[in-house]
Amino acid sequence: MNKALLTIGISLGLSVPLAAQAGPEEDFNDLFAKAQSTHKDAGTFQWTVTSDRLSAAESAADNGDYEKAKAMAKEALELAEESVAQRKKQQEAWRNVAIGN
Amino acid sequence: MLKAKVILVAIGVALAVPQVQAGSTPEEDRKETVEYFKQMFPDVAIEEFVNGQYALDEDRRKQWASMQDFPPYEFAVAEGKVMFETPFANGKTYASCFANNGIGIRQNYPYFDTVKNEVITLELAINRCREANGEPPLGWKKGPIASISAYMASTSQGKPFDIKVPDDAEAQVAYQDGKEFYYSRRGQLNFSCASCHVQNPGKWIRADLLSPTLGQPANFPVHRSKWGELGTLHRRFAGCNNNVRAEPLPAQSEEYRNLEYFLTYMSNGLPVVGPATRP
Ligand code: HEC
Repeated sequence: MNKALLTIGISLGLSVPLAAQAGPEEDFNDLFAKAQSTHKDAGTFQWTVTSDRLSAAESAADNGDYEKAKAMAKEALELAEESVAQRKKQQEAWRNVAIGN
Repeated sequence: MLKAKVILVAIGVALAVPQVQAGSTPEEDRKETVEYFKQMFPDVAIEEFVNGQYALDEDRRKQWASMQDFPPYEFAVAEGKVMFETPFANGKTYASCFANNGIGIRQNYPYFDTVKNEVITLELAINRCREANGEPPLGWKKGPIASISAYMASTSQGKPFDIKVPDDAEAQVAYQDGKEFYYSRRGQLNFSCASCHVQNPGKWIRADLLSPTLGQPANFPVHRSKWGELGTLHRRFAGCNNNVRAEPLPAQSEEYRNLEYFLTYMSNGLPVVGPATRP
């Protein structure tokens, strides 16, 4: 009983700094993780422009500029999504243009 | 006129596709590719394709011919010969790792190793030779490896490429992977290798004249004035990927080796002319 109360107390206590954090930095971290994993999913079809945005996002975050970091991560995610779509499309499409099929 | 021909050829190929069922053999691919470029450039002799863009443009060819008296790669080839002949710390040399002591064998690379189940390029064989003899591997794209490879190519001058795709499931897969790579669109610009080198050779892209697929690897390693030095084929692959904003793969990655396997097979029968110069 006391233990349960204590647990609630702790989690409340913890949730305060978390809530304070749930701003640009957290948004950035989510977005960045998503952009990174989508970029990875492009496999051998990754785009250099995505890599560039990811690095720019990282260095902006290192400098504490989370607005810029978020904007870069968002662009990276969109580009990465296009590259994944390209990879999927090319799985079949290449045959239509190949000499010798 | 040329444009009309290109369109006709394109239609011809489009019509031919349904007849050749998916999974045509490497030799069928090669013959069809030769036929395609013959129709596109009826005035160019087939062995001339190893000269890339110089086979397609008279002015460029003249500039190039005037460079041949004192080729800028001469020193690198001489240096490559010395490195090739200098014993490793254990007393052995590169010759011990190759058929015919490494002389006159460039035309057989890359080949498919059916034991290791992978494509072995000349540069890979050079570095594996070093490692087997306790030496550290060389960087893949330029410098000593390009010089050694250039020297080895120079001992094969004029020999016809003789790449084999053995009747082995893994070898066929490696060839097909390379072919798929060549024809798949990549990068933000959404171009495949073929978009430039099959569909548009002989056309200018900014200051560059596009070379045809056929003969493409025969002149490597190559001294580019842009680089100011020799570079390997995989350095060029990386550059071409990068130009369409596709992330290049590592030199000697499985993907690039399979790509080289396909591309060199297409040039079977054409002579080794590496090293050579390009803009
Ligand atoms: C946007 C057009 C473009 C695309 C796409 C492209 N290349 Fe190139 N490539 C060039 C240009 C331009 C050159 C330099 C002129 C020339 O020699 O064709 C070149 C040169 C080369 C050369 C050297 C030819 C020689 O004679 O030395 C090779 C090999 C090559 N490309 C292979 C590839 C491969 C493999 C791919 C696909 C991964 C590819 N290229 C994709 C434009 C392109």
